[in-house]
Amino acid sequence: MDNLTAVAASGLRSRMQSLELLANNMANSSSRGYKADREINTLYSAADATNPALSSGQQQSWIHQSWTDFSQGTLEPTGNTLDLALSGPGFLTVRGPSGNLYTRNGSLHVSITGDLLGPEDRAILDNKSKPVRIDPSQPFDISTSGDVTQGGTTVAKLAVVEFSKPETLVKAGQSYFQSTGAANAPVPSTKTEIRQGQIESSNTGPSEAAVRLVSVLRQFEMLQKAMTVGAEMNRHAMEEVAKVNP
Amino acid sequence: MIRALYSAASGMEAQQTNLDNIAHNLANANTTGFKARRAQFQDLMYQNIRQPGAAAGQQTTVPTGLQVGLGTRTSSNEILFTQGNFVSTGNPMDVVIQGKGFFQIRMPSGELGYTRAGTFQLNRDGNLVTGDGNLLDPQLVIPPAAQSVTIARDGTVSFLAPGQTAAQQAGQIQLANFPNPAGLNSLGGDLFQPTDGSGDPIVGNPGGQEGLGTLMQGYTEQSNVSVVDEFVNLIIAQRSYEANSKVVKAADEMYQNANNLVRS
Repeated sequence: MDNLTAVAASGLRSRMQSLELLANNMANSSSRGYKADREINTLYSAADATNPALSSGQQQSWIHQSWTDFSQGTLEPTGNTLDLALSGPGFLTVRGPSGNLYTRNGSLHVSITGDLLGPEDRAILDNKSKPVRIDPSQPFDISTSGDVTQGGTTVAKLAVVEFSKPETLVKAGQSYFQSTGAANAPVPSTKTEIRQGQIESSNTGPSEAAVRLVSVLRQFEMLQKAMTVGAEMNRHAMEEVAKVNP
Repeated sequence: MIRALYSAASGMEAQQTNLDNIAHNLANANTTGFKARRAQFQDLMYQNIRQPGAAAGQQTTVPTGLQVGLGTRTSSNEILFTQGNFVSTGNPMDVVIQGKGFFQIRMPSGELGYTRAGTFQLNRDGNLVTGDGNLLDPQLVIPPAAQSVTIARDGTVSFLAPGQTAAQQAGQIQLANFPNPAGLNSLGGDLFQPTDGSGDPIVGNPGGQEGLGTLMQGYTEQSNVSVVDEFVNLIIAQRSYEANSKVVKAADEMYQNANNLVRS
C-alpha cells in the first residue's frame, strides 16, 4: 500500500474506535455515577518506519489508550434517603468477588439483615473494611463526612476513598471501578462530601452527540475522500502513465 | 463498528424501559397509595483491548489501557417508598398511615397482601374491606346500625350504637413493615407481596415501638408521583433515545462510507 492509503486507513480505523467509545457514552447517559470514556489518539510508527535506513517518514494514527473523564456529574435531588451522591474526587468502597471495587453510584438499598448494599447487591464497606450494618426498621442519616447515624448514635463511617492516580482505575462494569496494582492504593478522601438524598448523574449526555458524533463522522468522510483520491491517483498511474501502446 | 451499533441499541432499549416506567408512573399519578418506580441503569462489561499495566517496553508499562464499553442495561426499577401527600376527604373510612407501615389485606387466595391505600368500605356483613372487596386483617366488623365510626391514631376502631352514649370498640387495625420494603413484589391493585428480598413482615400496633407510624382518619394518601419530575425524566429519556439513534445512524453512515471505498 502506498503512504496515503495506509495513513488514511489508520485514521479510518481510529475514528471507528472513537465511535465505539462514543456509543458507550451515549448509551450510558442515564447511568448513575457513570464517567465518560475518552480516547487518546497517538502516532504509531512501525519498526521499519523508525529505521533511518528504511524510513519513509510514515506515521499513522491509532488509539492505543482510552482515559476516563472523572469530572463531576450533576447532582440531582431525589429526596430518597437511600440515595448518596459524592461531591469531590472520592469513591464508595464495596466488597467485590475478588478484592474491593469502587463506585460513584450511590443508589443504595438495605438487605433483610440490615446490610447497606450498593449496585449489584455488593456490600458497602466502612472505614474498617467491614460491611456497614444498620437496623433496617429505623431511619438513618449519613453526614457529609460519611458518618452513618441511627437514633443519635454513630453506627459506622463509610469508606470514602480517593486515588492518587485515578487514571489507572479500570472499569469493571455495573458502575464499578477496580484498582490496578499496589502503586495506586486507596487513601481516605478528605475532599469528598457525601450528600444524602441526592444522586450523581452521568457526566456525559446527549448534547455530546451533537458535537463529537458529527466531528467523528465528518473526519471519517474526509479520510474516506483522501483514500479515494489516493486510489484514483494509483489508477491514473497505472492506466495512463504506465500505458503500453499496442 | 458493530460494537458501536449494539452499544447504541442497548442505550435505546434502556430508554424504552425508562419511558415505560415513566408512563406507568404518570398513569398512576392519581392512584391512592401508589408508590412511584424509578428505573436505574448501569454500564455493561468492558472489552479490554489493551490491558493497563501491560509492558510497553522493557522498562515501561502502559499507564492506562484501552477499554471499550459495550453499552448499558436497566439494572432495576426500584419502588420509592416516600410519603405521598395527604388529602382531607372527611370520609370516616379513609385512613392514612403517617409513617412506614402497610395495611394487611387478606387476598382471595388466602394469603396476606400489603397496601398503603387506606380507602376502606364496608361489605354486606359489616366487614372493613378494600375497594376490591378484600378483607382487612385482622378482621373488623361494624354493625349496620352504628351511627359513627372513629379510628384512633393507635388503630383502635370504635363506633357509637344508636341510643347509647359510650362508644364500643370493634377492634384494632394492625400495621406491618419490612426490613427492606424496596424488595417487595408489586401485585397490582395497590397490593404488595413480601419476597426473600424484602424479609418477613414485622407486625405491630400503630404508634408502637416498631416505627410503623400512626393512623389518621378522614384522609387519603395520594401517589408519590411528582408529575414535574416525570416530565423532566420524559424529556431526558426522549433526548437520550434520539442521541442513541443518531449514533446508530452515524455508525451506519461510516459503514456505508467504508463500503464505498471498494467502488472507486
